[in-house]
Order: sequence, then structure tokens, then C-alpha cells
Amino acid sequence: MKVGFIGLGLMGRPMALHLEKAGHELHLWARRPESLAPFAAVNAKTHASPAEVAKHAEVVIVMVADAPDVEAVCLGADGLAAGGKPGLIVVDMSTINPNAARSIGLRLADKGIDFVDAPVSGGETGAINAALTVMAGGEAAAFEKVKPLLEKMGKSVTLIGDSGAGQVAKACNQILTGVGVLAVAEAFNFATRSGVDAGKVREALLGGFAYSKILENHGQRMLDRNFKPGFKAWMHQKDLRIVMEEAHRMGLMLPSAAATAQVFNAIVGSGMGENDSISALMLLEKVSTPAT
Amino acid sequence: MKIGFIGLGAMGAPMAGHLLRAGHAVSVWSRRAASADSLLAMGATRCASPAEVAAASEIVCTNVTGSADVEELAFGPQGLAQGFAAGGLHVDFSTIAPSAARRIAARHAERGVGFVDAPVSGGSVGARAATLAIMWGGEPALATRLQPVFEVLGKTVVHVGPTGAGQVAKACNQMVMVAAIEAAAEAARLAAASGIDFAKVRAAMLHGSAGSRVLEVFGERMATREFAAGVEARLHHKDYALLLDEATRLGVSLPVSAVVGQQLNALMAMGWGRDDTSSLLRVLEAGDPPDPAQ
Repeated sequence: MKVGFIGLGLMGRPMALHLEKAGHELHLWARRPESLAPFAAVNAKTHASPAEVAKHAEVVIVMVADAPDVEAVCLGADGLAAGGKPGLIVVDMSTINPNAARSIGLRLADKGIDFVDAPVSGGETGAINAALTVMAGGEAAAFEKVKPLLEKMGKSVTLIGDSGAGQVAKACNQILTGVGVLAVAEAFNFATRSGVDAGKVREALLGGFAYSKILENHGQRMLDRNFKPGFKAWMHQKDLRIVMEEAHRMGLMLPSAAATAQVFNAIVGSGMGENDSISALMLLEKVSTPAT
Repeated sequence: MKIGFIGLGAMGAPMAGHLLRAGHAVSVWSRRAASADSLLAMGATRCASPAEVAAASEIVCTNVTGSADVEELAFGPQGLAQGFAAGGLHVDFSTIAPSAARRIAARHAERGVGFVDAPVSGGSVGARAATLAIMWGGEPALATRLQPVFEVLGKTVVHVGPTGAGQVAKACNQMVMVAAIEAAAEAARLAAASGIDFAKVRAAMLHGSAGSRVLEVFGERMATREFAAGVEARLHHKDYALLLDEATRLGVSLPVSAVVGQQLNALMAMGWGRDDTSSLLRVLEAGDPPDPAQ
């Protein structure tokens, strides 16, 4: 298939390469030309604008930072809408506000272009290992057409519901992971300040009802004091911002997510934004008395 | 002085009235013509567009709801920018994002027009009584030009700092005030659950260390269960989105504000957005079993 790919960053680059390896012809555009370098030796054509990419592709995948970027790529001057023929499917794998996704979907539909929101969980490691979790929203027919592509990048690919539903699922994912990482950090700090080995606590808890992947994986990295990302704290902060914006718009009370978002503000504000989200632990330690 | 005024709501209409009574020539424009009627009767001049208001005025005051409303008034079709002569001055009394105020100031500056963010505190009561607290940001040299306007509208006028500083002060004001309303509501809740009359508790606290203007005004509304606005809670809800957004942008942690923001979200969902913010008490009561007396 002829597949356009826009957004060749830490996540996008390995994802696009998986598609190429599976035999698809890539059509690329990048804001920074150096992003195209890893594709010089593979079956990929580069173009001067998103509109040109849309002209040559049957499906275009977008993997950028935030809603304004997706808007610009899709609907800006020389955007996908300017070049795409009716029947084109745009798959946005970025994490953006669900309401923004619905709005972009509606405006692309005016041009006969299908839009699927398909944000992912699993981070850079998941992208490199083609083991992402993909949560999709949109028309079932469009989803079925792009599902084989998504399966080349992800291990679990689920259509959640209508347009925006993928972003809602991702927002739920970020509530659970954000609050979950903070809960593990708080529990470990509580253990340590009580003079108890957090590693032993983790080991005991893994067998009980408090078991979670976060306790297992993030917990281990906290014990190893390995704060390399993983998933960068500033991205988690951004995703929680989206969650809280939607809560405000809908009049929805999310007390734990709200408190967690403030901790992520403090992580980023204290200069740890490029570290993994588990830096929440370091933040708690800064305001605790030294362990005895 | 020739002064324009746009945004003739519960705050703006009495403010424009004070300017007229002080002897200024006031030009107005309003989206709904009827909003201007009482001011026209006092001698104000009606204009056909914001641009016309700007062309007729040395200073134009605006007092509307959101950042987008101010930007539309200033730079939309037939906006202020199309009518201002170089040297004109736009004074915005609305509560908007500090970053929006800075953006608007920069766009006006391209045309040689000045901009001052001057949000106010004191509500419609303060607007009618001309006792508003005005916190403004912008060129300090503008103080002399602004003095004749500010002195007839407010009791306290503070130049906080450069453009946007007024909005930062207003965000701080909202944060401290609404957190205090929530604290008063929680006190009322604890008193009631203990079978104690909150009116008595309030009276006891009022002149002690916990005494405050909020406890006085909003505490009384809670004690008498008088939830009609006052200050419409939806406006505080809007302000919380602004200040929590700034916290995210700046990377600062505001744990209490975050929780208060969630209580306001619940208040909106209960349909009390046009009631007074003392309705935060009703959010705390929302899980109670129905009153058998009703």
C-alpha cells in the first residue's frame, strides 16, 4: 500500500520503518529535513508538503506532538486536506484532546477524507518493538482498511468507538498511569521513610490485590533509581493537561487526576521534565526528611 | 475626556454610568442594542461598531467574558484596531489569560496603540458602588492618562507591573478568594453535620483569626442558604481553567487550587453555574440522602 507518514520523531521513525519492512511504499514529509535521513536507503519517497504526501498516498499516518500540530498538518496551508482525494484515510496516532480530534475529523469529512484517531500506549520501546497498544476511534469501515497497518506497529489494536473514542481511551490510560506512578512513588517513599525496604514491600505486594504492571515495571526502575525515559515526564504532564481540559469542559470531577497533574507540574518546573515520569519519587524525596 | 465603553453587562453598565456622571463623553457599542438603552438615556452616544467607538475615543474600555471575546473586539471585522488613531489606548477590564493580554498588547503596539490589562475585583456590587479594586499591567507612564478613568470606578488602584501583570494579580485574587469560599463551605458542612448552627459559628469566627471578607459575604449566603448570584459561579469556573493552565505552562504545583477546580467542575455539572459560588456548599451536600421534610 502507498502509506504517507508525517511526524518522524522518536516514536514515528521506528513505526514508519516497520511499515516499510512489511512491504509498504512510504511517502514522507518532515518539517526538519534531517528527520528524513534514516529513510534514504529504504523504499520511501519524500515530498515538499503534506498536501503532496496526500496526493500520492492511500493512507496517511500522523504522529506529532499536540492538537495545533495535527490541525496544521491536516488543515493548514498545503495540509493533507489540500492534496487528499476523497477516499483518503488519515490516521492520527498523536495524543490530543478528544474534542479537537472530533472537530478535525468533521472538517476532513467535508472533503470526503476519512479520519481515524489512533493514539498509542507503550512509549519508544513499544514503538521500536512493534508492541504498541493502539486505541482507535472512527468509522468501522475506515478502521478495517487501516487495521493491517496498525497491526504492523502494535500488538493490541482495538476500535473503541466513534471519532474521538481512541483519544478518550488514551486519556483514561493517562489517568491510570499518571495516578498509578504517583501512587507507587508515594508508597515507596512511605516505606523508606518508615525505615522499611521498599524493594521488599514491592515484592510482597506483587502477589496481592495491589499488583499492577506499574508496581512491577516502574516500581523496579524506582528501586534501580533509573530515571531515564521511558516516558518523559513533560509528555505525561501534557497528557494530564488534556484530561483536565476535558474535565473542565464537561464539568467532571477528577480529584486524583487533578492532584497528580499538580505533581507533574512540579516535576517539570523543577527541571526534571526530560526524565521519566517516575521522577515523581525524586520530587517526594526532596520534601521528605532523610531516610533513617 | 472622550471615552469608549464596550461590554455593558452587570459590571460594565454601572462602570460606564460612573464615567458619564463624572462628565466624560462616553461612546458605546453593544451586540444587543437594548444593553445600551439606560446609558443612552444618561447621555451616552451609540456607535455602529467597535471601530466607530475607537474612532470617537481617546481611551476605549472593554469588559467582556473571555480571551477570544477581547481579541474579536480588538481585531475582528470592524474591530477597535480599524478605528483607533495612533496614540489610542485600549483598557481591558475583562479577566483573561495573561498570555492573551500580552498577545493583544503586542498586536496593538504594531499600530501605535497602547494596551492596559486592568481586571477588577469587587463584583457587580463593587461596580455599582465604584469601590472596585483595579489591578493593572502596562507602561507605568500611562498612569496619568488612566487616572481620570480609574478614579471614578475604583477605590484601590494598583499598578502591578508590565503587560499581563494585572491578569496575574487577578488570577492570584481568584485563587485566594475561591479557595476561601470552599473553606467556608467545608466549615458550614462540618458544623451542620455536627448539628451546630453555622450562622453562630460564622458569627464567632468573624472577628477572630479566621475572619475574612469571604466568610462575611459568602459565609452569610451559606448560612441563609441564599444561593442566587452574587458572582456567577461559571465565571469562577472559567477563571480556574485560566489559572490552572498557567500553572501547567509555568510548571508550578497548585494542589489546593486543583482540588477547588474539581469542586467547581462538579458545581457546573449540577447545573448551578449561574448561581452564586457559595453553591460550593451544595456540592458538598450533593451525596446526602433526600431531606425527609421536603
